[in-house]
Amino acid sequence: MNTTSISPYVVETEGLTKRFGERTVVRGVELRVPRGAAFGYLGPNGAGKTTLIRMLLGLTPATAGSMRLLGLPVPKQRATALARVGAIVEEPRFHGHLTGRDNLRIVGAARDGAAFGRIDSALERVGLANRADDRVKTYSLGMKQRLGIARCLLADPELLILDEPMNGLDPAGIQEFRGFVHSFVEEGRTIVLSSHLLDEVEKTCDHVAIVDGGTIVAQGSIAELRGGSGHLVVIEADDRERARRVLAENRSVERVLDDGALLSVSVLDVHAIADLNRRLVEAGVAVSRLEPQQASLEQRFLEITTRLENAA
Amino acid sequence: MTAFALPTPRLVSADILKLRKNLGLTAVTGVLTFGAVFVTIAIMELLHLTDSAKHGPAGGVANLGHIAFLISALGTAAAATVASRAGSGDRDAGIYRDLVVTGRSRRQLFLSRIPAGWAYLLPFVAASYALAAVASVVFAGSKPVPDTRLLVLTGLWVVLEVTFFYLLSIAVATLVGSRYAIGLVLAFRLAVSPLLASISALGVVRELVPGVALQALTPAGLGNAARQGPVIPVSTAAIVAVLVVWTVAALRIAGWRDVTRDA
Repeated sequence: MNTTSISPYVVETEGLTKRFGERTVVRGVELRVPRGAAFGYLGPNGAGKTTLIRMLLGLTPATAGSMRLLGLPVPKQRATALARVGAIVEEPRFHGHLTGRDNLRIVGAARDGAAFGRIDSALERVGLANRADDRVKTYSLGMKQRLGIARCLLADPELLILDEPMNGLDPAGIQEFRGFVHSFVEEGRTIVLSSHLLDEVEKTCDHVAIVDGGTIVAQGSIAELRGGSGHLVVIEADDRERARRVLAENRSVERVLDDGALLSVSVLDVHAIADLNRRLVEAGVAVSRLEPQQASLEQRFLEITTRLENAA
Repeated sequence: MTAFALPTPRLVSADILKLRKNLGLTAVTGVLTFGAVFVTIAIMELLHLTDSAKHGPAGGVANLGHIAFLISALGTAAAATVASRAGSGDRDAGIYRDLVVTGRSRRQLFLSRIPAGWAYLLPFVAASYALAAVASVVFAGSKPVPDTRLLVLTGLWVVLEVTFFYLLSIAVATLVGSRYAIGLVLAFRLAVSPLLASISALGVVRELVPGVALQALTPAGLGNAARQGPVIPVSTAAIVAVLVVWTVAALRIAGWRDVTRDA
């Protein structure tokens, strides 16, 4: 796969904003998508994920800010940039009265001449070669999703932008889709996958931006975001109330959550964990378990959004 | 792939493919053009064969005029149907955004639909007129037979009328969507235009109505057989100006709207 630019980022936005009347849907977004990543754009429904994608793809103009796709400014060099971008926006749609192959011919005609030559291999790649001459209205949702991927492949894309691609898919379809994403990343392509499903992004992506209320509240590698600013320790003690008081007095403790059986403690310095244990024991708390944990993306997401709610 | 480039032949072919493989559209277009002409001629000739004293033959100059009027009227309905599908089919199917994200200019996407729909429609209109022309000669019986010049002029007039309303329809369909385009264009062609032409108080303003211009172009050899409403004398320059201005204005507005609105 040839690349069009040497920029380390395939998507860069600065102060990207979209307003519909008085309502601001995307608010000053500063997005950096590293080349070759499986990048999750994660946020709840209504967070402005699809609007951002529509702006990147030139489907709707931005109210303010600037964008670069594959190192090229858009909309100024939109045609050149989009020539190497494949996208599924919202659900994949097709002319139902046409065959899968005809639908690809139509999009291939809108792309350059080489796209026509990729139709057969794209259908083969997504496992639709034997149904390519059936009308699309007879396809299942999973097959339409695969045809959507085949449509993206006509561009031999450096960047694939997939908007909520797992919606409506059964577990087998989701597994298959995840396989496609991994194989595309192995080929050096970059995937931007927008989703409201934390678990899905965590399993599929290696980088993530968390968006809420039209603003990016965190972005980085999944490993970085899981780690957050501290380290998570689970403590089982006979007197949780006394343990919480002891922990609260310690400066290295960032936060303590009590789920009724265990204390989840976020510690700023990993070396302070042994000291915490000593202080608890000295305070007369019997510690039966003290176990470092790796935070899930979901925990970090809740932590970030809780912090934002508290700050508001 | 510049914003001002014309659509590629491959893009136009793809737009024709969408229409050609739509069996419902093909059936409706066929019925409104060739089918209607065939049935009309068949009935006229059968009536003549069963009672020649009461019913004249299906051919001749006058019947050519009647059938030409039928083709122009029903051809307008067919044109509106095809144009609405060509003009808004991609948006209706939800794939317009998928075409836009290829990077292809929206202007090219818009311009490619215009020749595609016309190329799809023209064979239906041509076949129905060819049938009418042949019938006017073969079934003329004792009636005057149209000469070659009249046949050619009438054919050109039919194609011009259908083409004009096709272009108007594709502009309206792009602006308002397919559901309303057919009704609006048919109402304009069959009701509003003749009504405006009949209001003599409007004076010279009536010359701005495209139906008046098209009526003025009706081949004189057909007499009144292919006319609807009064004949208003209009200069050739005015006819050309009215048809060109309506067509260009409608397509420019539709093209601007298509390029600027969200995909």
